[in-house]
Amino acid sequence: MQINDPAVVAAVEAVSDAYERALLDNDVEALTGFFWDSPHALRFGVAEELYGVEAIAEFRKARKAAFLDRKTLRRDVVTLGTDLAMVTIEFEIVAFGNPRHGRQSQVWVQLPGDGWRVVSAHVSHRVTPQNAAAFNADDAGPFAAAAAALLDVPIEPAHRQGVAFNLGVMARIAGPLMAIDLPDSAEPAPRFIP
Amino acid sequence: MTAEIFELSALRIAEEVRARRFTATAVAEAFLGRIEALNPKVNAYTLVTADRALAEAGRVDAAIAAGEDPGPLAGAPYGVKNLFDMAGEVTVAGSKINRGDPPASEDATIVARLAKAGAVCLGATNMGEYAYDFVTINAHDGATRNPHDLSRSAGGSSGGSGAAVAAGLASFTLGTDTNGSVRVPSSFCGVWGLKPTYSLLSRAGVYPFVASLDTVGTLARSVADLARSLDVMAGPDPRDPDCGRVQAPPSESGIDLGAKGIRVATLGGYFARGLTPQLAEAIASVADALDAGPALELPRPDIARGAAFTITAAEAGEFHRRRLSTRAADFDPASRDRFIAGLLAPSAWYLKAQRFRDWWKGEVARVFQDVDVLIAPATPMLAPGLDEQTFEFDGATLPLRANVGLFTQPITLVGLPVLAAPVHRPGQMPTAVQLIGRPNSEAILLRVARELEQKGVCSAPLGLVA
Repeated sequence: MQINDPAVVAAVEAVSDAYERALLDNDVEALTGFFWDSPHALRFGVAEELYGVEAIAEFRKARKAAFLDRKTLRRDVVTLGTDLAMVTIEFEIVAFGNPRHGRQSQVWVQLPGDGWRVVSAHVSHRVTPQNAAAFNADDAGPFAAAAAALLDVPIEPAHRQGVAFNLGVMARIAGPLMAIDLPDSAEPAPRFIP
Repeated sequence: MTAEIFELSALRIAEEVRARRFTATAVAEAFLGRIEALNPKVNAYTLVTADRALAEAGRVDAAIAAGEDPGPLAGAPYGVKNLFDMAGEVTVAGSKINRGDPPASEDATIVARLAKAGAVCLGATNMGEYAYDFVTINAHDGATRNPHDLSRSAGGSSGGSGAAVAAGLASFTLGTDTNGSVRVPSSFCGVWGLKPTYSLLSRAGVYPFVASLDTVGTLARSVADLARSLDVMAGPDPRDPDCGRVQAPPSESGIDLGAKGIRVATLGGYFARGLTPQLAEAIASVADALDAGPALELPRPDIARGAAFTITAAEAGEFHRRRLSTRAADFDPASRDRFIAGLLAPSAWYLKAQRFRDWWKGEVARVFQDVDVLIAPATPMLAPGLDEQTFEFDGATLPLRANVGLFTQPITLVGLPVLAAPVHRPGQMPTAVQLIGRPNSEAILLRVARELEQKGVCSAPLGLVA
């Protein structure tokens, strides 16, 4: 089995380039089309596990994504024989004003009649103290939903992630504040003067 | 070579008008013409009140003709952040939603006081929506551009007020400062900014953001202009019961006493880390000029900032609750989710922040037993490009908008007066240094600022001289 046959590498690089372009354009049809048309196709995203090409297509349709500022930092292509390849990419993206360092791994297979398709993919983000809050959003989400219902403030589905994210940021900032020990004599600063 | 009218300070204009060397009407016309020519580039004003300006100027000229006193700011042209009430105009506060409000029935108290002093109001300036912003990139009115580099931010939330002063589109402007909204534009635009002691100036007729922290402030190109406008605006106001509990002595009369005997120190620790060479040099040049003593530290400024952040989010979110539940889609997307998140914050966060504020006030007062003025940077970066999202700080890449207030927010928490002193270096964007005083020490801060101005360490040259 030949590893990294130049002709095979060139072919895989070409489909990988096309995939990245579709991602920047949020070309939903093209993005879905790159995946293996099979219930065995798989994509693990940062916050979702998608089994089967139908689940992947549904997710893409629902997503209002803007990846305009996504920058590829490094791409590695390893081909094994003529029909199997692994493409890994490190990228940088700004989400809600927070810089993130992302990793994307794809297994590509050349299918008879269809050409190169992604059979399995996985995306993750590096978690650092600076961006940890963005990943607490899962905890803040249910709290936000419950609090919003109690306060009778409906939150549009499109805004829920942003609200949860901002609550996560507040939680991170409030953490050290809640941890500090204050004397009982410290009253809340505003005082009612009748 | 004679200076153009738009280059003159408010005091100089008042002096010339009173001496009948030119009329207030001529001044107003000159500034209105300059606004017409340059505002499309800078986007400092969202509303130009030409009729009002000419009427006010006409009254000044008539008073002079009649031998009456036209007031200490006779003919001085100024602009106000678009959250100040102006009789007959809608107070939009940077929002789309408030455009449907009825026009204000009367001027904000301090606008009325400026009018009585003969000042001439040119219009209302751009701001971040409902003041929850440090860059003045407004989804409804567009971004305000920095007169020293039009591709950069003017700072926020009083960005239009900073840019108007830096571009010579007003001799001075009013802003508000809750977490740094006067000091940040002052830094990015390189103009003088004064955030007085909390509750020194009336907030009647000023659209709220965070009642616990909101302070009215001034931006100008000369220290004396800050002093005189402060003296005109200060004083108790029956329309704002909070105002007048603190009273500062008149500031202009003592402005030339010099800085001798005033004890100055730089702030170390939190306020000294991660400074770029230019920011460090600006701090050092101000410290040298004032013979600053060894650096002092405030206890836990990081938590003070967190407390200011928490109080801001909770009070602003609750204040806008009705608008958030019925018109969320009409908010600026850059601030909407933060407002909603603040509305949902647990009360324990908010109350702990308010208790910390009470405790920290005492801690800070202890530091001020040994010093009169503390020096700190105003912003952790120079004016960023309008499309920048992150900046490098202390070896890390951080989100930009969330961190512009790193050095201004802790000070806000306990309502101290701060004078932002601009430092310009050839070929570089300006920055500003915070001169922080104990409550009601505006007169001391103005004396120190005047010293820096006279020594040439700090200045506010015009950008966009066209």
